[in-house]
Amino acid sequence: MKAPRFGSVVAAAALASLLLSQCSVIQQGADVLSDTGKISEKDRDSIVKTSEAVRSTFSEITEQEEYYIGRAVSALILSRYKVLGNSSLTDYVNVCGKAVSYSSDRPETFGGYHFLVLDTNEVNALAAPGGFIFVTKGLVERCKDEEMLASILAHEIGHVSAKHGLQSIKKSRLVDAFKVLGKEAATRYGSKELAELTGIFENVLGDIVESLVEKGYDRKYEYEADKLGAKYAAATGYDPNGLARFLKTMTGGPAAGGANGWFKTHPSAEDRLGRVNDQIKGMGAVPKTLDVRTARFLQAAKGLKP
Amino acid sequence: MKRPHRPAVFAGALLVLAVLLLAETVVVKVQTTSLRKEPKFYAAAVASLKAGDSLTKLASQNGWFQVKTVADVIGWIHSSAVETKKFNLTSVGGTRKTQASASEVALAGKGFNKQVEDSYKANHANADFAAVDRMLKIVVSPAVVEAFVKKGKLAGSGGGK
Repeated sequence: MKAPRFGSVVAAAALASLLLSQCSVIQQGADVLSDTGKISEKDRDSIVKTSEAVRSTFSEITEQEEYYIGRAVSALILSRYKVLGNSSLTDYVNVCGKAVSYSSDRPETFGGYHFLVLDTNEVNALAAPGGFIFVTKGLVERCKDEEMLASILAHEIGHVSAKHGLQSIKKSRLVDAFKVLGKEAATRYGSKELAELTGIFENVLGDIVESLVEKGYDRKYEYEADKLGAKYAAATGYDPNGLARFLKTMTGGPAAGGANGWFKTHPSAEDRLGRVNDQIKGMGAVPKTLDVRTARFLQAAKGLKP
Repeated sequence: MKRPHRPAVFAGALLVLAVLLLAETVVVKVQTTSLRKEPKFYAAAVASLKAGDSLTKLASQNGWFQVKTVADVIGWIHSSAVETKKFNLTSVGGTRKTQASASEVALAGKGFNKQVEDSYKANHANADFAAVDRMLKIVVSPAVVEAFVKKGKLAGSGGGK
């Protein structure tokens, strides 16, 4: 009885080993074809996806890596814009944003949520991965009350919570990064690995900054962030109509806020407004805008306009 | 006399094994956080936690986990701050492995880390990391948020989801 059983174990092991070696052959083959330009990056991704059991999607990026990606994306944003030197407004935006984050799906991130006001008349709001959130002076000026500002912050927290920034990273970057990581067992990288990984990091930042500042996210992500934003704002106790009222100020196109920023990177306000209104209707009873909050918003935003 | 006890001992051993397997371990994945007395951010902190700390999950409620630290301190942590540890069956079986798993990378602090940032920074003087460090210094305590929520007559649960 023993011999046949041993034989079947050997056969199973041989089959498993064959399957495993085929996986690596598939990947190597895909790499070669990709390098020679015979297949597109997209094709290569899908070929590798089928053979790659370990980390080939954005969801496998660790919290710490997301933090380092977010730091670098923020460093690039801050190289383009000056920070508004108004600490009481910055503090106010941080407390308001933090309050909303507590009622989000992701109140905790590796480095936590931090908010800054950028000194530009451009109307825009940006969220880098991990919770680095930026709103412009032009956007705060456009808000009439705390509900509007809180709804914008909630929309940005929605982008962070759903990891939209990380989803704009091309899959091939992750596959490339993991090839480097798998080879290296030491806790610090050797110079060759470090150079390779830094190059991939640079490409990752390029993918995200392009989405954030140039092309905008895929519209489905903007709709999702609107949906999450309305939900988080209402859960915090804000009137989610703040978002609808803000969008209303953005209807009519670039003349209302300059051709850069928001208009370049977001679907039209009219389009979003319809969806947001429908969603709020579906939420039933929602909190009302309160004077006590509007008063403190006006106090915090005082002195923005010359 | 011993015989009748054997099944009981066996069952007991099985129970211990089952409990060991079911006692879920979660690992802190954020840089720093607090273990709280109640499942809300405004609750008093009972311990400080950092990335990599292992916790035993005891219960869950509305997105919060009740956990026990290695020092036997019991408290609550929001689920977004922890990762559930998974058994790595492939490494148990000694299967050929050519790549690090995501949790291994997290554990070693590898992937895109400080060393990669420093290397990137060296070639991109325009990227303003100093401004990012100043941004990170803006920290709002849960007590300040709680006061803001109360004054503004907001929902005020501070309970996350």
